[in-house]
Amino acid sequence: MALPNKILPGFSAALYCQPTASPTILTTAQLSLVASVSPIAVIGNLLPVEAIPAFGQDDAVASFSIAGTRQSDKIPVQSAPTSLTITAAWNPSDANLLLMRGDAYSGVVDRTFVISATEGSNIVYYAFNARVSQFQIDPAPGAEAKCTFTVHPRGNQYGWSNNA
Amino acid sequence: MATQQNPVQYAKAIQYQLNSIVTPIPVYVAFNRNFATQSKFITWMLRNVHQPVYTGPVQSVKGIDRPTFQISIFTQVIEDGFTISNQILQSLHGYSGLFGGATNGFQISKADVQWLYNSYDNDEKLAQIFLDCTLDIPT
Repeated sequence: MALPNKILPGFSAALYCQPTASPTILTTAQLSLVASVSPIAVIGNLLPVEAIPAFGQDDAVASFSIAGTRQSDKIPVQSAPTSLTITAAWNPSDANLLLMRGDAYSGVVDRTFVISATEGSNIVYYAFNARVSQFQIDPAPGAEAKCTFTVHPRGNQYGWSNNA
Repeated sequence: MATQQNPVQYAKAIQYQLNSIVTPIPVYVAFNRNFATQSKFITWMLRNVHQPVYTGPVQSVKGIDRPTFQISIFTQVIEDGFTISNQILQSLHGYSGLFGGATNGFQISKADVQWLYNSYDNDEKLAQIFLDCTLDIPT
């Protein structure tokens, strides 16, 4: 099966998290292995996210300039994986949202997350290890209650894979 | 994670709830000219049944439903219509809890009633008052 060669519609991405309160995260090598990543991307691990935010890597440069020279230089350095601020409908009984709340409470739980972008049966996976912080519940009266939380990936612990 | 709720249940619950508020005034689901001989009656129309769809290929990832139903009050005496509209406002506006009775009802987070406008139909000789009621239905 070849990877899709087309522009993917935005709504076909989904976010999954490893189950249990103290998960065993994937190794850096496993994060790029579809055989390790795809078992996490199952419906029981789905987070009921409203929309997947931008994911990938942050910009990171070292600025370098010397007095008297005409131009400074921006030297690209290893950039950190992007933090994701997630908004989900707040369901107080959703097991995976409760895991996120527990992770935020702890602050030191490492968990493997998987974003799958799908087109028909073709799937591209972005897997990363991350911690959760800033878990908030927003009970604005004009809409359903939302919970928002931020997922901070650990440095260098991410990988891409696909089912092609 | 939410399945789409059934509009049939909405209809049954709205009919029951309105009827229980204004009884013995008859409540109908839509206007029928035959009703025009009655001195007072109420009709309602449901619209905007919609649970927002969220990201991903999984069908059950949806938000809550916030449908609106319009309540139309018809009376031969104008003041009667205003009185009935107040009855509905006092009972429904801000209401939270079981909506639609024990058999077909469901829990709502809140009902928000907007009193829209009053009017008069010279052909039918009926005063009219229109209200919109929006329900927040958790799933």
